[in-house]
Amino acid sequence: MNAPLAQPPQLIDLSSRSTLDDYQDVAQAIGLRKISCTVEEVPHHELGVITRATATAVIPNPWLGTGTSQDLSERTEAIAPLLAKLLADRLLDALGGAHKVEAFGKAALVGSDGELEHAGALIHTPFFGNLLREALDGSSIICFVDGRGVPGETLRVPMWHKSAAATRTHYQTLELFLPDAPHAGEIAVIAAASSGPRPHARIGDRTTDRTITSEILKGIQL
Amino acid sequence: MNYRKLVTIVEEIATEGGRVVDPVARVAIVAAVIENPWAGQGFVQDLNPGIDAVASDLGALLAPRVIEALGAPLEAYGKAAIVGLDGEIEHGSALIHTLKFGNHFRDAANATTLLPAVEKRGPAGVQFDIPLKHFTDATIRSHHQSVEVKIADAPHAGEILIALAGATRGRPQERLAALSTEQ
Repeated sequence: MNAPLAQPPQLIDLSSRSTLDDYQDVAQAIGLRKISCTVEEVPHHELGVITRATATAVIPNPWLGTGTSQDLSERTEAIAPLLAKLLADRLLDALGGAHKVEAFGKAALVGSDGELEHAGALIHTPFFGNLLREALDGSSIICFVDGRGVPGETLRVPMWHKSAAATRTHYQTLELFLPDAPHAGEIAVIAAASSGPRPHARIGDRTTDRTITSEILKGIQL
Repeated sequence: MNYRKLVTIVEEIATEGGRVVDPVARVAIVAAVIENPWAGQGFVQDLNPGIDAVASDLGALLAPRVIEALGAPLEAYGKAAIVGLDGEIEHGSALIHTLKFGNHFRDAANATTLLPAVEKRGPAGVQFDIPLKHFTDATIRSHHQSVEVKIADAPHAGEILIALAGATRGRPQERLAALSTEQ
C-alpha cells in the first residue's frame, strides 16, 4: 500500500542542496511517510543553552517478506544515503551548524513484520554512518540503539562525543516518542545530536581515573 | 520568562493512505516546562495574580516560536496545559484560558477563532493529544485534527507544561463533505 510511486530514473545532485523544504523527489523515491524533528533547549548556568535534537524518517520496509537470505546491499545503498541527508539537514538546522554539534547518535526501529537486520541495514553501513558523520563534522563511531517495535514506542537514543567517543562528559541519551510509527511494514530511522555535555557532568574522565581492577574487591569496606 | 526546558517538534506527513500528500502536512508544537505558580500554596481561591504574572509572558514566548518552526502560513491551531501531579488541572486552565495568553498566538497567526485545548494532569512523560481547528472558522471540517505529543521528563509534580500547536493545512487526505452540506 505504501510502495513508492514508480519514477523514471534520474540523477540529482544532493551534495549542496538543502532538503529542509525541498525534498518531495527524495521523499517519493524512498516512499517517505513522515519526517519529524524534535529540539530540546535547556538553559544552563554556564553554557547558556544546551540544545539536543532528533530527526526521524519513517519509510516502508523495502525488504518485507524477502527472507533471511536476501541480499540487503542494493536497497541499502539506494536508500541509506538519502536518509542520512534528510536527517543531517534537520539536525544542522536545529543546532545551528556542524560547529555546534558536540555529540551524536543514531537509531532504527523496524516494524513488527520486519527483521531486526532490516533496521540495522539502514544505519550500520557507511552509506548512512559516513554521510551522517561527515555532515556533522565528526570522526567517532556513532553509537546507536536498534530494535523491533510497535507504533507509539519511546526510544532512548544514545549519544557520545563526535570526535572523542570516550569523553565521559558527553555520554547522554535523548528520549524520543514515535507517535503512529513504525507500522508493521515500516522502519523508523533516527539521527540525534547535542550541542553540549550532560548538564552537570562531574564524574571525572579516563584522564582523571586511577587504575581500577578487580583487586579493589579484595578490600571492600562496608 | 523562566522555564526548565523548551521543546520544539515539527512533524511532516508526506504519504497517507498510500498516496503522496502534496503539499506535505506540517505540524509544529512548542512546549515550555515551567514551575507551577501556585505550587505549595494549598488551595488558592484567586488565581488572577498568578495568571497576571505568567500567562502573557508564556504566550509571548511560545507563539512566535510556533510560527517560526512552522515556516509556512498557519491554517489550524490548538493548545495544551499538562499539570504535574501536585497541582490542580485548574492551574493549567488558568494559564491557557485567558486572552492574555491566547491573543499572542492569534495575533502572530492572524487568527480569530478560539483555540481548542487539552487540559490534564499527569506524571512526567504523560502522552497527550492536542486538538487543532481552523484559525478563522472553527466549523471548517477539513482542519479538525489532533497531534500526539509526549515530552520526556516533564511535567514534574510541581510543574506545568504549556504547549501551542500549529498546522499548515487540514488533514493529509481530508475528503469529508463540509458541515454546510448537512445543514
